[in-house]
This record gives sequence, C-alpha cells and structure tokens, in this order.
Amino acid sequence: MKQSQSLLENLDPRSKILSFLAIIFCMVLTPITRLKDFELYFLLILILGFLSKVTPVQVLKKVLILIPFVLFIALFVPFLKEGHECCSIQIPGWKLSITHEGIWTFLNIIIKSGLSILIMVIASATTPFADFLKGLGLLKIPPLLVMIMSFMYRYIFVLLDEAKRLMRARSLRFFGHHYKEQFRAVGYMIGVLFIRTFERSERIYHAMVVRGFAGEIPAIQRFRFSSMDFLFITGIIISLLFIVSGVIYKIEHTKIIHFHLWLGL
Amino acid sequence: MAGIIKISNLSYHYPDGTIGLNDVSFEVEKGETLVIVGANGTGKSTLFMNLMGVTEGNGHIEIMDMTLNKGNLKRIRQEMGMVFQNPDDQLFCPTVLDDVSFGPLNLGWDSTRVHNASHQALAMVGLESYGSRVSHHLSFGEKKRAAIATVLSMNPKILLLDEPTSGLDPRSTSKFINILYTLKSQGKTLLIVTHDIFLTQEIADRVLVFSEEKRPVAVGNYNDILSNNDLLLKHNLVHQHRHRHDTLVHEHEHRHGYGHEHQ
Repeated sequence: MKQSQSLLENLDPRSKILSFLAIIFCMVLTPITRLKDFELYFLLILILGFLSKVTPVQVLKKVLILIPFVLFIALFVPFLKEGHECCSIQIPGWKLSITHEGIWTFLNIIIKSGLSILIMVIASATTPFADFLKGLGLLKIPPLLVMIMSFMYRYIFVLLDEAKRLMRARSLRFFGHHYKEQFRAVGYMIGVLFIRTFERSERIYHAMVVRGFAGEIPAIQRFRFSSMDFLFITGIIISLLFIVSGVIYKIEHTKIIHFHLWLGL
Repeated sequence: MAGIIKISNLSYHYPDGTIGLNDVSFEVEKGETLVIVGANGTGKSTLFMNLMGVTEGNGHIEIMDMTLNKGNLKRIRQEMGMVFQNPDDQLFCPTVLDDVSFGPLNLGWDSTRVHNASHQALAMVGLESYGSRVSHHLSFGEKKRAAIATVLSMNPKILLLDEPTSGLDPRSTSKFINILYTLKSQGKTLLIVTHDIFLTQEIADRVLVFSEEKRPVAVGNYNDILSNNDLLLKHNLVHQHRHRHDTLVHEHEHRHGYGHEHQ
C-alpha cells in the first residue's frame, strides 16, 4: 500500500525553495554569538522534519555523508585563526595554539553548515529533483542554468556507467605490473570519456533540434500555488521574524526583571 | 500514389571530407513502409540527418511537396519525426512525460492539447503509467518505446526510425513490431534503417539496399530483395556461417531470423 504523502511533499516546489532559502539566508546572517537563535532554528528544522515524515535514520544517513566534508574544512580553523590564545599543545619544537576566535569560527562553520545540510536533506527528501528544477524555472532562475542542472542530473549516471565500463575493460587486462603505465591508461580513459561525452552531446542536441528546440526547454505547468503554500510561507516568515528580531532575548530579559521584582517583594 | 518524400542527387561530405552520401535519389510513397538496409557506414543514418535538416548536403529534398530549406524546417519537423538509435540520446529530460511533451510544447500547443497528445502517445507504446518515471530508471526496451512516444506525441505523418530493434530482446522486439504495425495501420509513412532482416521481412513494403559506395543499389519488393542472395551477400547483409542442426554441421550464407532450407 502506498504511503500517504506528507504535507511538505504536497507543497508547490516554489514555496519550499523560497522558504528553505529564506531559512538558510537568515541562519547564515545570524552572528554565532547568538547561540539561542540557533536552538530556535534547530527547533524550526525539527518541525519541518516532522511535517516531511522523513525518518531520523534517513536524515542521519544523508547527513553522515556530507558532514565529513564540513569537518575537514573546519577542523584546522581553531589552530589557524589568529586571536586570543585559549590553550596550546606543545610538541617538541612546535607549538599548536587554539584561539578563542578560532573556536567561534569553528562553531560558526559547523553549526551553520550542519543546520543547512539538515534543511537540504529535508528538501531533497520531499521534492523530486525534476520538480525542484521546474520550481527553479518558474522562479525565473536563468533557463541556461536550469538546463545545465537538468542535463547533469539526467546524464551523470550514463557517464558513470560509461566510466565503469572503461574501468572494467582496463582492469580485465591489468595484471599488476607496470604501475606507471597505468597512469597513462587512466589518462587515455579520461580522454576517451571526454570524446564520447562530446559526441553524445552532439547527438542529444540533434535529437532536441529535430523536435523544435529553440534555446529553451519548455515544461508542462503542473504546479499551482494553493492556500496551503501561502500558509506555509507565512508560517516560515513569522518564525524567522520571531528569531531574527531577538524576541526570545526580550522575553528572557523580562523574565529576569520579573524575577528580581518578585525577589524585591 | 504520390511521392511523400522525393530525394534527387543528394550528396553529403563530412567536415573532414569523407563522403557521407553519394548521389542518392529515390522516392517514398505516402503510407508505405520503406526499409533501408545496408552494412555499417553506408550512410543510412546520415541520410536521416539530411532528411531532418540537421546536416545539409547538396541535392534536392522534397517532403510533402515542400522543398527542404531553413524556411520550412519547423513545418517539416512537425510532419516528420525521427527516432534515434540510442534512446539515451532521445530522452534528455528529467522525466518521461517531460520528454514526451517536449516536442508539442515547442510547437506552441496549448497545455490541454499537449497533455492529451502526450498521454495518448504514452498509451500507444504501453507506457501510460510511466509519465512521472525518471528516464534513466527504465529498461532498454522501455527507453526505446518512450523514445518513439516522444515523436508520436507530435502526431507526425512520417516517421524515421534508426535501428529501432537493435539491442532489444525478443519480447521487446515483438512489442516494438506491434507498435510499428499500429503506426502502419494508421497510414503513417515509415522509413526504417536496420540490419535486422527479420524486421525487414515482418514490416517492409519495399526494401532499399545501400552499398558501401554510400548510395542505393537496389530497391524493390521485400520478397524480391530478400530472396536475392547474391545481392545480400555482396552488400554484407548476409554472411557465410557454419552452424549445426542436430548432427548436421554445414556452412552457407545466413540471414539471422530468416529461414533457410536444407537439401
């Protein structure tokens, strides 16, 4: 039996693209020192995750693929960033210093990219790539850019298959000698793959031309902005305004004043 | 019968000077199925590219009483669709429905007409429920059928099919031949390039043989052509083949899928 679609899956891709981009934009612009804001962003993403019906395991699997890349970039920052030293590691003849500024930058990269990855995972799990491309097209993203993304998505697997076949053909005739020669063989393979790709692109272009291609790929308009889309976007905007305006800090501040007043009484 | 395609003295040279077509002249009648056979590299696919106006040779091409030139290329491409040999070249959109609706949308049809034409084309090739499928997830046979749907959605009167059954298993071939029969019964003019003598025998009204000199050397009724062993042997359409029938091992010219008698 087919599982019923989640709320996010039923939304127009345009509303998802706009909302998710708005969240990422606000997150990136929020100073890392406002850590409470990031707790709220995380809460908002959790709610989106709940609305998407994506299981935590699915999310975790995809996050674990992407996080190492971010970690690799961020790992050296605490040691390289100049600033006030907070601690150091002594190695004979060498001193590795960790700075306060470095730690904040590290947190900045890890938290913001981690949350952005979570949003991307939810977006990709609830929007088929074909719909995502159509959404971009409808949002007036340059058609050439959308076309390049579309072809990349369509032909990346075809190219991978082609590359695998070449690799297999090489490995069947490789018996573990002349390792240096293998570099040459890999070079040839890259060349062959390029030529085949070029020739394929010509054939695809011909197939497009004979069906009336004149510079743009038209698409059937299948999407319609519903009241649910308006509600979703409005909800996201209100949430972001709530976070960005710093209302949470004002509430806390008021609580503290009230607490002091109570103590005074 | 009126000639729906008239080609006279068509020659084509590739940019490097290699001869692609050498003084080709023939006519195709309305509603007929002409199968073009020939060895590899005899210019069959190049002929199709010239007919579709993708490449431009010297000579005269007339399609449905229109001379092929840049001015009426759009009209001609609406009336004449081409199915490429490799379906991966033909299916370039993210989903099957996008591919099938690509041609009609480019013709400027309204969305209802595009929707109906696309779904009819998919139904005709037995892929009604495949519209939202991603092309690279289809089997080769399904891709071939989807490729023909991308052309059928434009409702062309003439169809050019380049090696339509190559790489297909027997069941897929049979399905494909059924589609061709349906198209034939609808009065479409079919031009098919193939090495498949079995397909030729099944579907051809006339057969045109291309030689290695890049020009037609024989044209005629499929029975006359297919029974002319000397012609087929000379133009690399049959080959000497040793094979076994139970205990009898013998050698003679062999046409795949086309029977032979033993003395």
